[in-house]
Amino acid sequence: MLWRFLAGKGVQYALVLLFAVTLNFALPRLMPGSPLVFLAGEDTGFMTPAQRAQLYRAFGLDQPLWRQYAFYLANLTRGDLGHSFQQGRPVGEIILGRLGWTVLLVGGSLLLATLLGVVWGTLAAWRRGRPLDLVSLAGAMLFESTPSFWLGMIFIAVFAAGARWFPVFGAMTPGAGLRGVAHGLDVAWHLVLPMATLTLITVPTIFLIMRASLLGVLGEPFITSARAKGVAERRIMFHHALRNALLPVSTVFMLSLGYIVSGATVIETVFSYPGLGRLLFEAVLARDYPVLQGAFFIVTVSVIVANIAADLVYPLIDPRVRRAR
Amino acid sequence: MTPLPARTPPCRRIRLGAVGALGLGLLTLLVLVGTFAPWVAPYDPEETTGAPFEAPSRTHLLGTNDVGQDLLSELIYGVRISLTIGFLAAVMAITIGTLVGVVAGSAGGWVDAALMRAVDIVLVVPFLPLMILLAAYLGPSFWNVILVIGVLVWARPARVIRAQVLSLKSLDFVEAARVLGASPGRILRRHVLPGVLSLSLAQFILAASNAILIEASLSFLGLGDPTAKSWGSTLYYAQVRSAFLSGAWRWWVLPPGLLITTAVLGFAFTGVALEETLNPRLRR
Repeated sequence: MLWRFLAGKGVQYALVLLFAVTLNFALPRLMPGSPLVFLAGEDTGFMTPAQRAQLYRAFGLDQPLWRQYAFYLANLTRGDLGHSFQQGRPVGEIILGRLGWTVLLVGGSLLLATLLGVVWGTLAAWRRGRPLDLVSLAGAMLFESTPSFWLGMIFIAVFAAGARWFPVFGAMTPGAGLRGVAHGLDVAWHLVLPMATLTLITVPTIFLIMRASLLGVLGEPFITSARAKGVAERRIMFHHALRNALLPVSTVFMLSLGYIVSGATVIETVFSYPGLGRLLFEAVLARDYPVLQGAFFIVTVSVIVANIAADLVYPLIDPRVRRAR
Repeated sequence: MTPLPARTPPCRRIRLGAVGALGLGLLTLLVLVGTFAPWVAPYDPEETTGAPFEAPSRTHLLGTNDVGQDLLSELIYGVRISLTIGFLAAVMAITIGTLVGVVAGSAGGWVDAALMRAVDIVLVVPFLPLMILLAAYLGPSFWNVILVIGVLVWARPARVIRAQVLSLKSLDFVEAARVLGASPGRILRRHVLPGVLSLSLAQFILAASNAILIEASLSFLGLGDPTAKSWGSTLYYAQVRSAFLSGAWRWWVLPPGLLITTAVLGFAFTGVALEETLNPRLRR
């Protein structure tokens, strides 16, 4: 049933969320040394014992663990992710300023990669075993094996620093004060290279799934009977096979979200693109643990939200999930 | 090599063999270079043998880095680190993955359900942000990199191996053995494990290719072993010193990336070829 399918998924995402929250709670407390270093910064090492004891109480570290955990959860539900050591601002505020850029980069690449991957996979499966298929397979494996950050560096060297077609870093021209259409064009111009890199890294995954799925469907008896009936090859491909082959793609599409977000993390670092991935990198450099944890938490929540969105669309595409299961 | 089953049509066998042979060839080459690194490399990569930022010349074929160390030697020694970390992380991932897969597949019931929930959690969480978090807390070191990769790469192998255990359990001859009174332990040892272990090998090689790519990413983000010069950390320094803004990218950025791709492809080709011959689900 539809509701059982959604309830099962809901339990799974709740567990993922619980895992991320618990890990964030446990890490500072499990590490050797005082958890204060991870919660309030390395400056605490230079404080007087009295100051440190006061801070210790302020973070509730003198309380029993279960109360600390309850306190932590309560803070989270109020959107309190702690304070950044480096910037002295609430982590939630910092992340909110970065989230939009990552959504733009990842969302754009995902749409583009899915479109390209589905079309390309269909073509390859259609021409199975022919040169186009074999070259595509080799190309897909090559790009799957290429480090995404390296591809980004090469793109910068060739198209930004070399040919000067695109900017070297950032998401918009600093201090230009552009508005309206000019601003939009500036943002798009900065987006081209990072998005091209992320798309190129993602397309092979979608391509390989699409090709395998379509080949699987083409081997099914109902395709054989359609052929026997004399249905045109093109019609079999688009009306009979493609629809069924798209289903597994949407499932694996969800599973590969974590992979794509991971790719975005390093690509944002290479392009100094001000999203969450770049924030993670900056937090590592500054040993800014609250920001690190907050960014990890929000990235996980975003992946879960995207998964839920895809799950809600899934029954619309596949009537079998809607009716019996 | 495992002999191919007779059912495989001959044309497919040749193509599979070619891909696998190419992968094995690449791996052998890299292992040889890594083993004989002190003889192959022109310099000690830890020593300053030239001026900083030298362009390629007769004495330094790929130029020098920001502190005047020979880049070619750095890359040759880097083979050792990438392959070692890839190998050890994959050993860890496959040990966990095989254990979880076999236990889940043979136990069934709530044990299976609980373990598969864990697999799903690991698969949904965005792995690189999680690794960055773990690596930042644990601190950068050789064993921590292996630990972080190992505890996050086991999920896919666990799932594949569980499926294999389930399909082996349902085969007629296993059913027959059970009816004849073979104990569950004997069925596991005699009939299930042999089929699982060969698949584990294929999964091991795929995990190694994954691990090399992840190690490069972690090192590039400054979270790798700080005492080792891996390909990822060469790229980290190239990035920090903005090598891609000058012509230096051609000898400082291009070669390490090509080497990473070669190593990952070597493992991936071998793994895919093995998996396709060993995994009945993928055979057509």
